[in-house]
Amino acid sequence: MEEKQMTQKALKIKENDVVGSINDFLRQLLSSGKIQALLVPQSTPSKKVVYPVLIADPKKLHSDIIAPVLPVATATVVSKLTKVQPPSKPIGVVMRACQIRALVELVKLNQASLSNIIIIGVDCPGTFPINVYADFPEKKAPTHFLLETLLKKTKDADQYLRSACHVCKDPIPTNADIVLGFYGIDLDKELIVEAHSEIGRELIKDIPLEEITDDKAREKAIKDQREMKDKQRAAFLKDKEGMKGIEKIAEFFDKCVNCHNCRQACPICYCKECLFDSAVFDAEAYKFIRRAENKGLFKLPSDALLFQLGRMNHMILSCVECGLCEQACPNMIPLMEVFIPAAENAQKEFAYHPGKDKAEKIPMIVYREDEFLEVGEK
Amino acid sequence: MSEEKKNHSKEDFEPKIVGFLCNWCSYAGADLAGTSRIQYPPNVRIIRVMCSGSVDSMYILRALLEGADGVFVGGCHPGDCHYIDGNYKARRRMVLLENILGTLGLEKERVWLRWISASEGQKFADTMKEMTEKIRKLGPNPIAKHWNL
Repeated sequence: MEEKQMTQKALKIKENDVVGSINDFLRQLLSSGKIQALLVPQSTPSKKVVYPVLIADPKKLHSDIIAPVLPVATATVVSKLTKVQPPSKPIGVVMRACQIRALVELVKLNQASLSNIIIIGVDCPGTFPINVYADFPEKKAPTHFLLETLLKKTKDADQYLRSACHVCKDPIPTNADIVLGFYGIDLDKELIVEAHSEIGRELIKDIPLEEITDDKAREKAIKDQREMKDKQRAAFLKDKEGMKGIEKIAEFFDKCVNCHNCRQACPICYCKECLFDSAVFDAEAYKFIRRAENKGLFKLPSDALLFQLGRMNHMILSCVECGLCEQACPNMIPLMEVFIPAAENAQKEFAYHPGKDKAEKIPMIVYREDEFLEVGEK
Repeated sequence: MSEEKKNHSKEDFEPKIVGFLCNWCSYAGADLAGTSRIQYPPNVRIIRVMCSGSVDSMYILRALLEGADGVFVGGCHPGDCHYIDGNYKARRRMVLLENILGTLGLEKERVWLRWISASEGQKFADTMKEMTEKIRKLGPNPIAKHWNL
């Protein structure tokens, strides 16, 4: 994961089949015997959705790592795979940038292990809402539609992107052992394979790969991609500045039915029993009546806004802005409009970058004696 | 502004303040104020907690959303925490909560954190006076009239 000694190679695209060529590469990786299984996004038979699938038999591997959909948090899946006991031999996990960031946060929270986990990051052109992906309105399948926009460098896919993807913090994977790159290369001819760690280099060593023709192109393409997202993000943040005050916040969360799906979908919310599902919120009838008397009336189910703001307080510093909360909302509350500005400001306050550095401690578990001296004194 | 503000002139508005006081310092400080017969406004409703570090932001939010006009958290002075570093953690948590309240445009001025030791009965009384007056000036918590939260 030390970026300095990065090895960059090119994977030849055979017969104009990008997905097939990637699958050949992944099969070779799995057949090498150096890894015992691969976690890859693979289409269900209906082709309506793509799930992380743990593949042991290379013959069963038909992944679609380009498919622009993120139905569940891959980071949560890797947590599930590694939390009780990490694998004894290496497993490769194919992940998008936001999910690698979330995984790093889960490792810091002691909810996942990177022991024997080989992270294979993929350049992320963004994802579509799960329902848009399942019933895609274009004539082509979403993967081919997206590939075409990448080849022709058009912005046709932007209209379908989830709002979180539209303003993605960083679509290029960091902290990966191997990166599969689409940017800065002619995707009809080749695809970039980068090894960022010793084990990554070891894994791709015996797979036939070509030398990169233009190694500066990748660097520039990444820079462009990041700059474009930064710009869109800044515009989004500016646009949402007016979302202030109890009138607007109460109205914004009016459709929240307290189902807690957002928390279920969130890769950071790992608690087995959430405080907001706990007996803390069970009470005798007279207490409900007292609360009704307090304001004259009392909405049930209660404490929806308290849940939203409480959850925000608990997870916002680790928020990787994957937008899965918004995708999970049955009433389509555009949660990112509140969570992205909140994450931006809170993370800036503590100069914290979730998912960036495994050694960086989560702000709420550490402190310095000589900080925030004015708090508690003024 | 709000109806409440019209209905309550500053003189007849009595702020409701919820105070979370740490068992070892601020609660004892409040106790000392009482046993020393120091007068302070009765606006604060005190809840004893074992440590300011045990005050989850959810408690503070709950009080605010239920309509409390102010929320006070009292802890031991930095370096004096009975549990070594609970108050340092409370401080970070308060910074985070204030930051979030700021982003959402909810009045963070209604949430106070102060260090008050067991010997500072006078400081506790003074702080309560100061807070009650500041909140009185701020007016009633506008969240109180929202029932659809």
